[in-house]
Amino acid sequence: MEAPVHDGQGYRSAVAEALAGGWRFGGLHASADGGRQLVRALLVGEGGQVRLETAAAEHATVPTIVDLAPAAGWDEREAHDLCGVGFDGHEPLRPLADHAAAFGRWTTPVRGPDPYQLAVGPIHAGVIESGHFRFHVVGDRILHLDARLFYKHRGLERAAAGHTLEEGLAYATRACAACWVTNAVAYAHACEELLGLAATPELARARTILLELERVWNSLNDIGAVCAGVGLAAGNNRFAALTEDARRLNARLTGHRFLFGSVAVGGSPLDLDAAAVAAARADLARIREDSARAWRELLFNASFMDRMPDIGVVDSEAALALGVVGPAARASGIRADVRSASPRLAYEGFEPAALRRAAGDVQARLEQKALELLPCLDVLDRLLDGPVHPAAAAGGGGATAAIGVGRVESPRGATSCIVERDGGRIARLRLRTGSYANWPAVAFAAADNLLPDFPLINKSFELCYACADR
Amino acid sequence: MLTLLRDLRRLRRQIALPAPGRGRSLALRHVDAGSCNGCEHELTLVSGPYVDMARFGLGVVASPRHADVLLVTGPVTTRMREALLIAYAAMPEPRRVAALGDCALGCGVLGLPGEITGRVEDVLPVDLRIPGCPPTPERIASALLELIDGEHVP
Repeated sequence: MEAPVHDGQGYRSAVAEALAGGWRFGGLHASADGGRQLVRALLVGEGGQVRLETAAAEHATVPTIVDLAPAAGWDEREAHDLCGVGFDGHEPLRPLADHAAAFGRWTTPVRGPDPYQLAVGPIHAGVIESGHFRFHVVGDRILHLDARLFYKHRGLERAAAGHTLEEGLAYATRACAACWVTNAVAYAHACEELLGLAATPELARARTILLELERVWNSLNDIGAVCAGVGLAAGNNRFAALTEDARRLNARLTGHRFLFGSVAVGGSPLDLDAAAVAAARADLARIREDSARAWRELLFNASFMDRMPDIGVVDSEAALALGVVGPAARASGIRADVRSASPRLAYEGFEPAALRRAAGDVQARLEQKALELLPCLDVLDRLLDGPVHPAAAAGGGGATAAIGVGRVESPRGATSCIVERDGGRIARLRLRTGSYANWPAVAFAAADNLLPDFPLINKSFELCYACADR
Repeated sequence: MLTLLRDLRRLRRQIALPAPGRGRSLALRHVDAGSCNGCEHELTLVSGPYVDMARFGLGVVASPRHADVLLVTGPVTTRMREALLIAYAAMPEPRRVAALGDCALGCGVLGLPGEITGRVEDVLPVDLRIPGCPPTPERIASALLELIDGEHVP
């Protein structure tokens, strides 16, 4: 990919022009070229095509684009905290990853007759990842939520710099176990663009199978999590058993319950004989039947379903502005799904499932996840029609590049991986996961709701902290 | 709802878990000190129908003040170190620390040295080590049962 370098104003107007022309913001990161500090904004077109607009920093500062694309808020704050770039016009530029910052700088000032603050985390009461939520509350009503993540920041992107492209896979995938395949495939796609490699049908098929296997267990887990969020033990346990079934299937197919090690740069090691494929198909048919039966039970449980509507609402306008992706965006009526335009994968003719009632509330997000399980199982049924052999990407022909971009639909939405190289080594790795894109929407959805509904709102997104913190 | 409960009962019969040996219990407090979320996902399923650790008297409690065991996952990030120490300090004696997963044991940890403090052992005295990336729910449950039986207590 080519990325012409603009000065600050040129960058801002290029981004503004792209956004006006129907492109959407897809991520932003700070980079460097020799001694020069750069900021790159990723833009995504209607047909899934990507482009980068790059600004050279002057006095370590570039103009902000957060007024043009509010979804860039977290990206700019992160670039400031971790890479020391200033964003002119982003006021106040509140700390995101900088935990040493004074309390008053990272919280929002909330004034009123009697608001109080409720601090939750970083350690939560259940088996939950670490992160801090600061609720500004009046009575039981949430006025505002400041989510402070990055407690699990391991510096994986920066640690990957200087390693070879093959070694980089471990850094990109260590970010998160729940999205291992997504992150691995996004990274592999970025590297293959760098190396001028193209996907063969066999490689595309193997990776698509793995991506959908990951989506199956995540979807089952997420529905169970919503049950747990309202204390419906029977629903939680039923879907926990189904999640276990799906992970055991993963282990039988690849030797790992989270499919670790099943993706490589430039090829696929996945090797399944006819018997394994047939057994997997039968297992998936059973999961389809059992999950449909359990889901019907939830749908007809009035005390459960009555908790769902009209809470944690993110309408389509807000979802677009915040850059929400994945099932959460589709539950708000935005039809975007990276799978509809993934030439490197085997999703020919894929249409994202659409709800009749895409109200952007907890009910819509829950129903969207349940609905999406079906096309996901359909894709697997279509692709598991015969043995899967190890495959290699088609080499040569394609031009090599200095920057590669891979975009893949994770169970939580579009994940982009950008790899910039310096010879055969990684100069900059950037992984912007669906969870990262959606965290600001969780805080947005919480506002104006009752505090006891927050666990439910949070579970309706079920985002990874590890994916966001890296 | 009746169908759901009937299905769960049938599932329970199919799984045929061994009955717990004798009356005993252990209260666990989980702390994610910087994991990749794999250990958390497996730990969640330790409470699911297939392993159902509650039958053995194992349960996750909300506060370290009610806990016998601090179950720590992940390499300890610089940003989680203080919270981990506070949780440990809040536990009543006798208390035990279990390091869950390879990262917690310092195996194959990736990241920047400045962002990662080190193994759980570098921060707290560890009584039980549960290796695996991530360890399966069965392995987690059986390791914790050994802790109850006293085999791993120093």
